[in-house]
Amino acid sequence: MLRDLWFRVRALFWRRSVETELDEELRFHLERQVEKYVQNGLSREESQQRARVEFGGVELAKEECRDARGVRYLESLWQDLRFGLRMLRKSPGFTATAVVALAVGIGVNTTVFTAFDAIALRPRQVKDPDHLVGVYRTAQGESYGAFSYPDYIYYRDHTKTLSDLAMWSGETNVTTPDLSVASTENLPRVAGALGFHMPQLLKGGVQRLTCIFVSGNYFQLLGAQPAAGRLFLPEDDQLGAPPVAVLSGNFWQTQLHSNPDIVGATIRLDHVAFTIVGVTPVDYLGTLSRMPVLWAPTAARPLLGDGTRETLTNRNVPSGIVYGHLKAGISLPDAEAEWKVLAAQLRAGYPDVERNTGVRIISERTFGEIDSEAWPIVAATMGAVALLLLIACANVASLLLGRAATRRREIGVRLSLGAGRRRLLQQLLIESTLIALLAGAVGLPLASWTLHLLVVKITSAIPSYWGAIALQVSPDIRIFGYTVLISLLTGVAFGLTPALQALRTDVNSALKDSGSMLGERLSKSRLRDLLIVAQVAACLVLLINSTLLLRGSERALHVDPGFDSKHLAHLSLEMNGPQTGYSQERLFQLKGQLMDEVGSLPGVIAVTQASRAPISGGNRFVPVGIDNAEPPSNNGSEDKRPTAGYSYVLPNYFKTLGIPIVEGRTFTKQEADTEAPIVVISEATARRFWRGQNPLGKRLVIGSVKGPAPYPGETAPYSPGSEVIGVVRDAHSLFLGKVDESYLYLPLSQTRHWTSMLLVRTEDAASGLLPTFRSAVRRVDPNWFVVVAPLDWMVSLDPYFVISRIGGILSSIVGVLGLILACLGVYGVVGYSVVQRTHEIGIRMALGARPPQVLGLVLRECTRPTLLGTAIGIALSAAISRLLSALLFGLNPMDAISFAGVSLLLAAVALFAGWLPARRAMRVDPLVALRYE
Amino acid sequence: MTAQRIDLPQGTLDLLILRTLGLQPQHGWAISERIQQISSDVLRVQQGSLYPALHRLERRGWIKARWGTSDNNRRAKYYELTKSGRRQLEAEKVAWDKLTAAVAQVLGTA
Repeated sequence: MLRDLWFRVRALFWRRSVETELDEELRFHLERQVEKYVQNGLSREESQQRARVEFGGVELAKEECRDARGVRYLESLWQDLRFGLRMLRKSPGFTATAVVALAVGIGVNTTVFTAFDAIALRPRQVKDPDHLVGVYRTAQGESYGAFSYPDYIYYRDHTKTLSDLAMWSGETNVTTPDLSVASTENLPRVAGALGFHMPQLLKGGVQRLTCIFVSGNYFQLLGAQPAAGRLFLPEDDQLGAPPVAVLSGNFWQTQLHSNPDIVGATIRLDHVAFTIVGVTPVDYLGTLSRMPVLWAPTAARPLLGDGTRETLTNRNVPSGIVYGHLKAGISLPDAEAEWKVLAAQLRAGYPDVERNTGVRIISERTFGEIDSEAWPIVAATMGAVALLLLIACANVASLLLGRAATRRREIGVRLSLGAGRRRLLQQLLIESTLIALLAGAVGLPLASWTLHLLVVKITSAIPSYWGAIALQVSPDIRIFGYTVLISLLTGVAFGLTPALQALRTDVNSALKDSGSMLGERLSKSRLRDLLIVAQVAACLVLLINSTLLLRGSERALHVDPGFDSKHLAHLSLEMNGPQTGYSQERLFQLKGQLMDEVGSLPGVIAVTQASRAPISGGNRFVPVGIDNAEPPSNNGSEDKRPTAGYSYVLPNYFKTLGIPIVEGRTFTKQEADTEAPIVVISEATARRFWRGQNPLGKRLVIGSVKGPAPYPGETAPYSPGSEVIGVVRDAHSLFLGKVDESYLYLPLSQTRHWTSMLLVRTEDAASGLLPTFRSAVRRVDPNWFVVVAPLDWMVSLDPYFVISRIGGILSSIVGVLGLILACLGVYGVVGYSVVQRTHEIGIRMALGARPPQVLGLVLRECTRPTLLGTAIGIALSAAISRLLSALLFGLNPMDAISFAGVSLLLAAVALFAGWLPARRAMRVDPLVALRYE
Repeated sequence: MTAQRIDLPQGTLDLLILRTLGLQPQHGWAISERIQQISSDVLRVQQGSLYPALHRLERRGWIKARWGTSDNNRRAKYYELTKSGRRQLEAEKVAWDKLTAAVAQVLGTA
């Protein structure tokens, strides 16, 4: 077998030497034969002739020898390959368009497939991913809740269905003076290009690092191996154990130059000495989606960040997500049944713990789970890109069809000269396969580039609380195989149609170049018109909506939010008790100093405080009723009152932010300090509860006695009767896109109520004062971390803005790709028709038709489907844009510029694509066209 | 040359080549001469089909070729049997004997 192959390969690639050998062998034979006859007494001339006659055709013998060597097929393949390459080189325009069209289709498909694979199909890089499960606590309105630490211990010690139960707890920022971090203040350029502005961290003398807490058996559960030193052991996770930490491989590599001495070193984290025991591999994520700098055992939690001893002991404090392996033979429902029993036991044992309700166990085999709600979106995306490839193939097929028509004569000649139909088919197939392979070769780097752009660059630009995803997205060998397979299938699929059609060619009619084209045109044109209609409609929908989104998000940057966002800076204090080691009193005192310091800066008009800043997330809502409405009894039944957004503010909040007081007054300093039962409301709130009446002096029932805390560690506002003392103008403080439906401003006590932020009103644009703020913070306390941003930068972090921007950019990318493909389609159709109708055009011109008339005639092939597609596209876009209105920031969903402008542009581009080949029709020389006959 | 010429039945050329090479390595011309000689000029090898047959046998691995020097001091391509070629020769010989015996039997009884 191997020998046979070698024999053929040698014959193929050392063809010249094999051929010479064959020549020599046959020559030798003939010469011996001649010698023999000469010896027998014949003349040399006669002998030669006789020998040759006896031997028969030398060339035939050679041909048979080649056949016998089994290289004929390979050789003809090789010939066809070279011929195909020559043909492709001869028409570079055709080759380039076909390759680009397919490469786009293949590239986009590979991108989406890779992303889908990375999220939903590829198992996590952990031990036994098939049996890895995550356990969440479920409660009313909470389907993926965290367990408290004592509950985790209880489940860990009692479960019989899961093994190696480990816990992962959320991220905390810790500080250290011992590790230096390269500046992170430079924004990723992509973020800037997308229009996102990140707040700046004003660093003090120490560094801030992200830290993740995991139980001692976490790394064992996942089977992780250290890059240096060791990872955690269960002993590390005991209360009172010497504090240890593990460093991420990426930080070790980039910041510490993989210095092995770090293992065993002691660093101070939040004023506590920790020993670095090891380093994780580079890019190690475990079960996380973002890489922390440090990993610490759960037992160390009270020592770091905002952790307290309560974090480990209080069953009411949610702590982390639990992971484990299903034991052999245990199914998910089995485990869930057991855990429900355990949960019931816990409830019985600790009746005062209100949050113990249910459990949910899901497989954690892959990075993300695509739940039933997301499936339609995923399916639509995959369908859309598959359609893109289909369109690309259809376009290339129609290009090839046009080409086949021009090559009818060539094929006819070759057939009449005796070329085998099989061989011709093979040759045509090879040509199209070549195109497909070239496209695959272009598409693969294209895919890896787009993936890098989409996943790495764009996700790194998205605000971090949107969950930057550190997926591993370099195309692997499977993806490469997928690309090649698509390319090949495509090659065969679109190569076959024109090839078969070309072969049906009747030799005679092809040579005469008339034939019954009419019949073919009727059957093919309907389908091709339909394709153009669909393409134009689809890419118009994409382009109109992306224009709407981009214009809407641009508008967001100029929206008047109801307060003076241009002249406001937002200073967020990123430190609290344990991190500074300061007492609560000292913190309040320092904050007062900071307010004074910042307030006295030149260019600063006023400084105020609030529990949250407008449009910067952290929205909180509370149920509200008017005074005569009964607050719900506390039997756990749902609160059916309307909710209002709220924040606690200082008396000068309205003046500082530039929110005019319409009626009544703001709080006095004394009312604020005592947090008196009074409230300032927005105009919309007044209209909502007391339409047409004077709201001043009316009372609001805010919250209920035991309202659920909006965030862990916070208490919900409760007031059985707060008097309305003022009404202020409406603002966009919850969502940038719309005025708040109702908003309450509650009095903030500067000495009792800790808030982590200052709002500063400046004379000029706030961005110019950021360095001044830095030095002010340093003067008050050199160790303090403050994150600062002009308030209008916060606009770029508004979720609707982010969705609108990224959605707009993505859909315009796909839309432009679609437009390119649609243009190729139009180009192909018109080009084909010009070739087909050359004869007819010749006759028309001979009868006196003028070039513009001919142009119109040919262009009609594409105008009708293009216009129909445009009409359908506009109708579909109108339906879809209505659904987007929340993302448009007040832009009319029927925005004329987006609709009319984009439609006109698209139609013009499509007609231009048709005009290019149509020009050829005008240049038809009637004499030449008719002489063909 | 006056002897009556019989065209070779399909498939027997391979057997004759193998048999000839079973005696000693030979080049193509010598093989055809040899077959003619041994068969007392009855069997005549169509020279045009000899070489394709040789190449086919070489591809199957039953014979192998090397370049050597002929008796008149010329470079010539010599073919020799390989081990599997020898086995093939035995197998084909047995099959041939069976075939001819059977054919003879049929002809004898008819």
